[in-house]
Amino acid sequence: MIVIKIFLIAILSVVFLLLALSSRFRTYQRITVIFFYAVLAFLILFPQKADKVAAFFGIGRGVDLVIYLSIAVLSLIVAILYAKVKMNERAITKIVRDIAIMKVRKCNE
Amino acid sequence: MIRQTLLDLKQKRPNDTIIVVDDGSTDSSYFEACVEGVYLLRHIVNLGQGAALQTGIDYAKKLGCKYVVTFDSDGQHCADDIEKFIDVLRKDEADIVLCSRFLGKAENIPTLKKYFLRLAAIVERILTGIRLTDVHNGFRAINVAKFPDFVITQNRMSHASEIIDLIKRLHMRYVEKPCTIKYSDYSLSKGQSMMNSINIIVEFILGKAIK
Repeated sequence: MIVIKIFLIAILSVVFLLLALSSRFRTYQRITVIFFYAVLAFLILFPQKADKVAAFFGIGRGVDLVIYLSIAVLSLIVAILYAKVKMNERAITKIVRDIAIMKVRKCNE
Repeated sequence: MIRQTLLDLKQKRPNDTIIVVDDGSTDSSYFEACVEGVYLLRHIVNLGQGAALQTGIDYAKKLGCKYVVTFDSDGQHCADDIEKFIDVLRKDEADIVLCSRFLGKAENIPTLKKYFLRLAAIVERILTGIRLTDVHNGFRAINVAKFPDFVITQNRMSHASEIIDLIKRLHMRYVEKPCTIKYSDYSLSKGQSMMNSINIIVEFILGKAIK
């Protein structure tokens, strides 16, 4: 039990450091990241505490609650990333198209 | 192949403006496409057929063209068909003319592909309510001067569905005309595989959901 806890905390800390040190985030995004770190670290250390919260929502175990929530959050992240990829794609299209039109060549063999 | 197509086009339509869009090809197509009088544009990276069509349309508008005919470069379309397509636009009988290989004579069309395209048309009809017999055909004549909002945003293959969507949204008058499609080994090898249509449908629906 203690080994898996240390392992999970270590992974979480590395991810957290990578996210926290990245300069791409705005303040409110940093706060969100710190909040999630705190909640997850707490749940890893005291998994039984989540059982009460889960019971309140009518879910059997705390771990189940965490799984359900993670699925929801991860889906949201995928959707956001998908939208960003689409935005990038649109920008690239515009750039490539403008370059094509700028560099048009009229052929006379 | 593209060179032959262009020379044929040039010979049959000497007074038309020809625009070629090279969608980031890595072979010698760009140089082969350099036929006298042709405007040659090049995407520095591959974007997809929809994006290439839109680049061509943008440039045609910039040159002040009223009508645009989209034409595949693999020799499957026939330059003789252009006149009757443009004629419909000139007489203002429709705003977009689409080519149907089922109304005309299609040479060597594989049976499986035939039924598959029929099915695609039915799916399209259910999704958009636009009645067409052949939806994934690259040969179209469009009155671009009248519809500045006719912009293809789906870069890849689902632009064909998007065009039908545009017809509906912009209330364009559409008509289908028969045209000849020549299926050669070359054009078949370059054509999209039928499995890809699943991607097309998914792209189309996602494109509608995420604007």
